[in-house]
Amino acid sequence: MQKNALHILLADDDEDDRLFFKDAFEEIKIQTNVNFVHDGMQLMDHLMNQDNKLPDILFLDLNMPKKTGKECLIEIKKTDHLKDIIIAIYSTSSSEEDIEDTFIQGANIYIKKPSDFNTLKKIINEVVTVNWHYHTSGLNRDNFLLRLK
Amino acid sequence: MKLFIKFDINTICSLYLKQNLEENNVNFTTLGFGEIEIEDNLDAEALENLKTKLAPCGFEVVENQKSVLVQKIKDAIIELVFMDDNNNYKSSVFLAEKLNHSYGYLSNVFSEVTYSSIENFIILQKIERAKQLIIINEMSLTEIAFLLNYSSVAHLSTQFKNTTGITPSAFQRIIKKRRENLK
Amino acid sequence: MKWIPNFNSSNSLRVIFVIAVFILLFLSSIAYKHNQDLNESSKLVMHTYEINIQLERLMSAIKDAETGQRGYIITRNARFLTPYIYSRDKVNTSFITLKKLTADNEPQQKNLQKLFKLITQRFVSFENCLKYSDPKTYDKRKLDNHMFGGRILMENIRFKVDEMNDIEKEYLKKRLKIYDDEISLSPLFSISLFLVALSFILLAYRQISRDFERLKVFNKKLLISSGLISESENIGKFSTWQWDLDSDKIDFSDNQFRLLGLEPKSFAPNRATLLKYVHPDDKESVAKAIDGIVEKKNLPFVYYKIVRPDFEVRYFKTIGKLLTDQQGSKILLGINFDITDEHLLNIELQERNKELEKSNKELASFNHVASHDLQEPLRKIQTFISRVSDADKAVMSESAKNYISKIETSAKRMRVLIDDLLLFSRTNTTKKEFIKVNLNELLDNAESELAEIIEEKKAVIKTNKLPKLSVIPYQIEQLFINLIGNSLKYSQPNLEPEIIISSEKVISADYPKILEQSIKKFHKITFTDNGMGFDPQFKETIFILFQRLHSKTDYPGTGIGLAICKKIVENHKGHITADSTLGKGSVFTVFLPD
Repeated sequence: MQKNALHILLADDDEDDRLFFKDAFEEIKIQTNVNFVHDGMQLMDHLMNQDNKLPDILFLDLNMPKKTGKECLIEIKKTDHLKDIIIAIYSTSSSEEDIEDTFIQGANIYIKKPSDFNTLKKIINEVVTVNWHYHTSGLNRDNFLLRLK
Repeated sequence: MKLFIKFDINTICSLYLKQNLEENNVNFTTLGFGEIEIEDNLDAEALENLKTKLAPCGFEVVENQKSVLVQKIKDAIIELVFMDDNNNYKSSVFLAEKLNHSYGYLSNVFSEVTYSSIENFIILQKIERAKQLIIINEMSLTEIAFLLNYSSVAHLSTQFKNTTGITPSAFQRIIKKRRENLK
Repeated sequence: MKWIPNFNSSNSLRVIFVIAVFILLFLSSIAYKHNQDLNESSKLVMHTYEINIQLERLMSAIKDAETGQRGYIITRNARFLTPYIYSRDKVNTSFITLKKLTADNEPQQKNLQKLFKLITQRFVSFENCLKYSDPKTYDKRKLDNHMFGGRILMENIRFKVDEMNDIEKEYLKKRLKIYDDEISLSPLFSISLFLVALSFILLAYRQISRDFERLKVFNKKLLISSGLISESENIGKFSTWQWDLDSDKIDFSDNQFRLLGLEPKSFAPNRATLLKYVHPDDKESVAKAIDGIVEKKNLPFVYYKIVRPDFEVRYFKTIGKLLTDQQGSKILLGINFDITDEHLLNIELQERNKELEKSNKELASFNHVASHDLQEPLRKIQTFISRVSDADKAVMSESAKNYISKIETSAKRMRVLIDDLLLFSRTNTTKKEFIKVNLNELLDNAESELAEIIEEKKAVIKTNKLPKLSVIPYQIEQLFINLIGNSLKYSQPNLEPEIIISSEKVISADYPKILEQSIKKFHKITFTDNGMGFDPQFKETIFILFQRLHSKTDYPGTGIGLAICKKIVENHKGHITADSTLGKGSVFTVFLPD
């Protein structure tokens, strides 16, 4: 369906989670190109480096060392050339406050880390599909809010 | 100053396309959403030239036959959803009549290309329209539900929640706060 | 200032007495005048009488002279001439007396002058008669003339004397009449005045005896109340003192001494002794407060410690108020309370409260951290298990497959427990932002959350209009989810679940035992289902954390759901109750403040 592979970036300090994530993307039908960063500082460095291609979707863990996901989110939304990246929060927290707050700060998707690999695949699939629809079907990305459990 | 602007993507697109093609001296007729017929045969170079011209705005010349059909299905669905008196149509009948294929065939092609169903896409579009209407804040949820052909507000709310993971009121609240936050 | 009874009669009594005294003084002055007048008139009578006598004497002296002369002329015996010779002296004496008596009366003086002239002429005529009757110079004609002239003169003299007497009588009469007139006024007047004075005095007497009665009554009351006050001071552990700011005199009630650990009246209090028993820590602040009294004439609440002679420390609270009595003297009334018991109790309570708060906080944060951090490794366990694919399972032994499935079940159960615990602790820890929301909207959200199970069980949920209330939206939504979820979970097999949700406005006074009375109106929202119900004896215990009525194999659950409901309702200052008939259904009633 895509001529070019979808660029995915995951910022998460947990090695196991990165592993699950990688495996899940490998198993879905959509062609993707997944990269990882281990903390907030590394994420911002990666994004600011002009040599790196900007991701189509950024998966962002909230609870990260050095710079939290929320700090990164705010910084990204303040940076002109980054603010249009679709951001999916990828967190353990299911607190309504955290969810609403990140949405207000500009996140498009909120994913509570699932405790089942198949669910993870399903979620990733849905995110990519909806994102694709938003890209290809003239949907207003300002209205792109999605919460997945 | 803050302005809320209501716009029609399709009009904008066709207008932009028309201007661009005219600039390039291409004679064409519009057949439907996203489908044009070029009267003269363009050579490969001219076609490539046109593609690069249109690319910055996300225009893409669809070459695969199935992709063309999917684009037609999508356009038809958008037309259906954004029609204000769509009460009489059942989406499957509408699509079959409009595209001259059986609904089963359309459905299969759509799933094959997009990895999602026509039904899902219709819902996505309807909820998208609901979102627009909620943000414009001119209609109550009940009126929106009626306009979009839902049996009840609850039905709309449930579908909204299932599609986006949040309730319509939370959506409205978040968008409002997000705008305040930007100021 | 009305704190002293008003004996106004003393003033009116004074007025009555003054009036009575004036009347009496007036009466006595009139009596005195009366007396003076009487004296005066008797003197006048005497005066008139004396003039009369002197005139008569004058007359008789002249008559004596006439008789003597006549006897001498007839007999020529010189012995008859003696009265004549003396008569001249007598006339002169009487004349001088008369002149003195009539000194203040001019007409009488003139008359007296004329009389004297007449008398002198009479004596000249006597001399002439003697001369012409003397044989040596006898001349019958001249003698006859002088004798006759003497006769006329005599009559003139008599006339003049009578005239003078008449004038005197007339004068007397006039004066007496004047006095008479003056005095005739007074008897009636003085009697009536006397009566008035008498009645005034009687009135005053009556007033005095009445005041006296009142005084007696007040005195009795005063005695009783002062007895009561000192008794109540004793019982209530308080005391009073008065500080007369004008004379700078301080009076302590007996109990004040007792509160200080002393015998009543064991010292004479003054400004310095006020501070004597105050604890050294508080001396400065109390001294400041005392200075404040003198400046501001007022004493707000002062809290301090005192040290008794036996070194026992007591806690005091003192307040004062400035009073002004009828005489205008300023008295500061002070009240001391011995609040030692309350104070110690308060301190103990505060400490306990602090401890409780601390342990509560610790518990909540432990709960949150524990459940939050616990779910990370659990999630990993679950995800790793889910990664054991069917292909992997195919090569496993039966028992290994069985163990894997047991691990999966236990992990799942632990997941539910941790999720519920997290939810429970979050009802405490999240910020409680109240927003006015239509509860119908929250109910809709709850229903869409439960849509799957509602559909599966073909449940019917009937709702009437719910109110718009100021609530914490997530929590009320959670409450609805838990209550409806509970009803769906414990529905009767082979019976489509039906839940009826209704709302009405109630007054808290109608539910005095369960509702916060300071909030007037509540909304009573009832959730009635046709489920299995439960034994009503458990209607309190089902809200307790981890209390379960069913075995976890029959109905999976954590026993946290209803505890969360209770917590949420309590967060909203409301109340939740449950009732049920086994096999018929349950009713959950939520009260939320308007």
